[in-house]
Formats: sequence, structure tokens, C-alpha cells
Amino acid sequence: MPLPALFAAFLRLGLMSFGGGTDGWVYRDIVERRHWLDERAFATGVALSRVMPGSGGVNLTVHVGRLLRGGAGAVVAALGLISGPLVVVIVLAVLYARIAGNPAVHAVLAGAAAAAVGLNLATGLKLAGYGDRSIGPLAVTLATVLAVGVLHWPMVPVIIGLAPVSIGLAFRQAKRQGGGDV
Amino acid sequence: MSDEWHRLLGLALVFVPISLFSFGGGGSVVAEIAHQSVAVHGWTSPNEFADLFAISRAAPGPGTMLSALIGWQVAGWAGALAASAALYIPPSLLVYAVGRLWGRWRGSAWHAAVERGLAPIAAGLVLAGGIAVLRVTPGGLGTWAAAAAAAALLMRWPRLNPLVLFAGSGALFGLAAQFG
Repeated sequence: MPLPALFAAFLRLGLMSFGGGTDGWVYRDIVERRHWLDERAFATGVALSRVMPGSGGVNLTVHVGRLLRGGAGAVVAALGLISGPLVVVIVLAVLYARIAGNPAVHAVLAGAAAAAVGLNLATGLKLAGYGDRSIGPLAVTLATVLAVGVLHWPMVPVIIGLAPVSIGLAFRQAKRQGGGDV
Repeated sequence: MSDEWHRLLGLALVFVPISLFSFGGGGSVVAEIAHQSVAVHGWTSPNEFADLFAISRAAPGPGTMLSALIGWQVAGWAGALAASAALYIPPSLLVYAVGRLWGRWRGSAWHAAVERGLAPIAAGLVLAGGIAVLRVTPGGLGTWAAAAAAAALLMRWPRLNPLVLFAGSGALFGLAAQFG
């Protein structure tokens, strides 16, 4: 994979990520459209990027960049993701004094952010349904949403608590299907 | 050491430790950034901080652009770059190292089971992240309705460009604010 293509792909993703929607765009663009990565590698990347400290979007980008093109890929993808928004946010700061008093501006931004969350929700639902649709994995997804999204329990302990259960379920399912290939 | 370098070093010394404690994403350390920026270093007034926070939420990108804005306020473009580097590089190195280590075990049965087991958790985290953003986005029920509608449309028509939905929803909210 050429590094300029990787840079261009993530520059685009960064500029389109509103409201923390980087995961949704990476899934849509890198997994669904370009097929550079499969669902399982993406899901593993999301879990890794969230359990580590730092921005989930940047972490996922570093991970995906490394999978696609090693160390150089990780650096180039992360620079691509960050550089566009960095310029935009500072331009916004310069303009802010002029637009801050206009309530319509805030409403437009809130509306765009709400739709951006919709992209993330669609991605989460697709991920929940892509593999094993049995009751166990769906219950794990639901428990994660409830604990982190509704009850506001801290994310890292929740992941550490649920991971063994979910991995155990995956093991059992693999055995039932005849071992070997999980 | 020149004044400029001194300020950049000050930014790095604040944002490197914060980066390593930002579990659960950048949102978890906003309170600490506010404390450091307003009370400890006097980089911004409380009002300036609130404005910068609002701007960082409106911009595209990884949602942690607040640090770049504070850096910019302190030392211009060099400050924005220094604060961003301090915030992004340490966690990135961790993710890189752990991801690489993990990749070495590819092929074993338990590696595959762990990845399969993590997938439903990842799905839940993405959904929970969306809910968390909705809770802090102003606009009440309309925000939730717009997000649900956008999700439904994207599930039904996967080829639909999300940017069209972002623009449409933004326009609707803008009109509602103007005439509602």
C-alpha cells in the first residue's frame, strides 16, 4: 500500500469525523468500501484502541495504519487523521469571535453532530450483527452499552470484566462447531 | 532557554501525563485540562476555556482538539503542534507496541477466540460512545431523534453518503432555532 494513498484516506476520514465519529468512518471507508481490513481486525482494533489511554480515533488509526503498512503506515495514517482537523479547529478559533453570538450557528453544529452520532450507532449495530448472532454475544453487547453508555461505569474495568465472559463464549462456540477454526 | 521554548516545554509537561491517564477517550480528562489551564498555569481564563471547549466540539477530528487550541493560545502554531504531539504520541506508542505483540500470536486458536470474544464488546463500546456524545450535545429530544433517524437511514441504505445527512440535520436544526 502506497503511503500517500494511506495519508489521503485518513486525511479525508479526519475531516469527515464530526462528534467523535472516527470509528464509523474508518469502518465505512477502510472496511466496507476499500476492503483493506476485515470486520474482525477492525473490531479488535476498536477494543484495543478503547482499552488503551488516549483518543479512541487516533489509537484506532495508529493500529490500522500499522496493520496496513507497518511503522511508517502508523505514523502517516495518524498524521493524516490529525492534520486536517488541527487546521480547521484553529481557523474556527480565529473566526469564533465573529460567529459566537449567533444561536443558529450553534443549532446547525448540534444538528450535524447528532447525525454524526447516527453514523456511529449504525456502525455499532452492524458490528453487533456481523458475526455470531446468538444470544451470548448480543447479551455482551447489551451489557457493554448499559454499563458504559447508560450507567457511566468506567470503561476499562467494564472491558476487563466482560472480556473473559465473552472470550469464554467464543471458545465454547468454537468447540461446538468442531474445534480447529474459530 | 528562550521564553518560547519554555512555554512549549510547559505544554509538554502538562499534556504528556494527561495523555497517559486519558482512559476512555479524550473526554475523560477535560476536567484536568481545565484545572491545569485555568488554575495552575493561567493559560486561559475560565470563559476562554469554555469557548475553546465549544470550538473543539464543533470541529471535525478525534474530539481531543481542545489541547491543540490551548497550545495555540499559549504559543501559536508551535504551541498547537507541541500540545498535540504531547497528547497523541505517548498513547500511540502504547497502542503500537501492544498491537504488534498481539499480532505475533496470530494463528493460534486462542488468538482467534479472543478476537471473536472482543467483537461484541467493541460493538457495545461504539454504541455507548454515541450515547455519551448525545448526552452532552445541546438540543434535547431532537438530538436523539436525529441520531436515530440517521442511523436508521444508514442501516437501510448503506451507500448513502453520511455527509448529506450531517448537512441535512444541521440545516433542520438551524431552521428550527431560527423560526421555532
